[in-house]
Amino acid sequence: MPRRSSLPVAFVAPTLVILLILSMVPTLYAIVIALQNRELSSTAYSWVWFSNFVDLFSDRRFVNAVWVSVKWEVVTVVATMVVAIGLGVLMFEVAAPRLRNLYCLLFIVPVLLPRVSAAFVWKFAYHPLYGIATYPYRLLTGGLIFDPLSKPSTALFAVASVDVWQWGLFFAVIVLKLLETLPPQPIEAALLDHAKRWQIHAYVTLPMLKAPLISLMFVKMIESLRSFDLIYVMTRGGPGVATETLDMYAFSQGFIESGKVSYASAMAVLMMIATVITFTMLWKRVQA
Amino acid sequence: MRPGRIVAKAVLAFAGFIAVFPLVWTALNSLKNSVDIITRVPRVMFTPTLANISYILGRDSVITGLYNSVIACGTAVLIGVVLGLPAAYAVARYPNRWAGDIQFFVLSLRFLPPVAVAIPLMVIWLQLGLYDTLPALIVTYSLLTISVIMWLAIPAFQGVPKEIEEAAFVDGYGAYAVFWKIALPVAARSLIGAVAFSFVLVWNEFLIALMLSSSNAKTLPIVASELSQQGMNVPWGILNASVVLLSLPPLLFLGVLSGFLNSVFRQKKN
Repeated sequence: MPRRSSLPVAFVAPTLVILLILSMVPTLYAIVIALQNRELSSTAYSWVWFSNFVDLFSDRRFVNAVWVSVKWEVVTVVATMVVAIGLGVLMFEVAAPRLRNLYCLLFIVPVLLPRVSAAFVWKFAYHPLYGIATYPYRLLTGGLIFDPLSKPSTALFAVASVDVWQWGLFFAVIVLKLLETLPPQPIEAALLDHAKRWQIHAYVTLPMLKAPLISLMFVKMIESLRSFDLIYVMTRGGPGVATETLDMYAFSQGFIESGKVSYASAMAVLMMIATVITFTMLWKRVQA
Repeated sequence: MRPGRIVAKAVLAFAGFIAVFPLVWTALNSLKNSVDIITRVPRVMFTPTLANISYILGRDSVITGLYNSVIACGTAVLIGVVLGLPAAYAVARYPNRWAGDIQFFVLSLRFLPPVAVAIPLMVIWLQLGLYDTLPALIVTYSLLTISVIMWLAIPAFQGVPKEIEEAAFVDGYGAYAVFWKIALPVAARSLIGAVAFSFVLVWNEFLIALMLSSSNAKTLPIVASELSQQGMNVPWGILNASVVLLSLPPLLFLGVLSGFLNSVFRQKKN
């Protein structure tokens, strides 16, 4: 590489400046708005400083939204990783190369769909009377009604299943590719020691893949923050507030119910601080 | 064959079925009349109709949404390519002590909750008089495309054998000529995957488009979601047809993206 060239500066500087402007302006402005009392209906506003934040902590719907968000995050991340590792190992074990390629193509399809499409596909499928996914239940019980999206106890899991359908299957493909990159010798050594197939994966291959699997989980944690589309289309946060995550609540406070833009922004700012701190710390640990 | 293997194969086959069947079913429903959709027992045999699809394609709102989506996503991806690829190349090939920080900064943009970006941007675009216009959407999407393309292109450029580039320098190529004539063409396959991925990402984007448009700049996902808000008054066949229309463009990239995955992992193996 030539030592003296204008290329690095000429190539990086404009892009970084634009990225900084595009990201810092809204971020800082979100904080400014959160300290005011703006509403959608009027242009007048004044500074109220931290009162939006104080109000949030006594807002029971906000506390509920935090709880739902945490639940969503845990359920989708854990279920995605379980499905991904399970199916990835199964493909590695029993699928011939040609079949593997076919499965890989099939498993990538759901994640390519727009979340809105995926949400619709499954909203139809979960319809209690005419849905294709509830049909087996109707068939077996002789026509009983099962409506997963309108029962508070099942709604979150029903929406989460769509998320896992998209990401779990896709990650299964990645787990398979990761397994294929491993050298065969440790597996052969374990076989010589009469290890069972599941033992080989539990004690040899998966521990060898610990670092990339943790990175994968990290990616899923970030993507799970983007639950809005699914919830908006499938339940609108309902029934009641059973699936109302933070972004759903912020959206409905800011735009549907009351137009309290500043209040919504305060929520968004808290969310932003929490995610940036958490993920920065996690990332540094993953890298270390 | 041991019973364990049979069970394993059955589980896999079932997962493969679950992966695509709901979508196939939606596509079938888009060809049905309402009487064939609203049935307690799913109907596999029916007289197909093109009425739903032609209704969808005949609606102004859908055509406008399609146009907006194509223009907004296409332009944002183009901006992402122009700004993201050179920056990625410089980070990959001319590492300095900030290279790690730059990479982390680009990744950290993905940590920002979309609501936290969309609310202030809505106020900003309102004040600038650009709310509900395509330029506002394009600028906002560029943040997404630039960072994603950069993030994915850095390893792609690192995968180009250094020797090729060094040989070109020896032959008297300048730094820019090496980028244009060597690095870009050699890394092209992976780069196309990265660009396709960024397109799928913004095409599928919903929350920001929802908050930054009210009538003129609505993208296709917004139009599709609105069709459903009229409740069950809208025939299901039409809704299914709009879902199919919305899902087709990302699926066109299925081949490109699975090739991209393969090349990423082949690189890892070597």
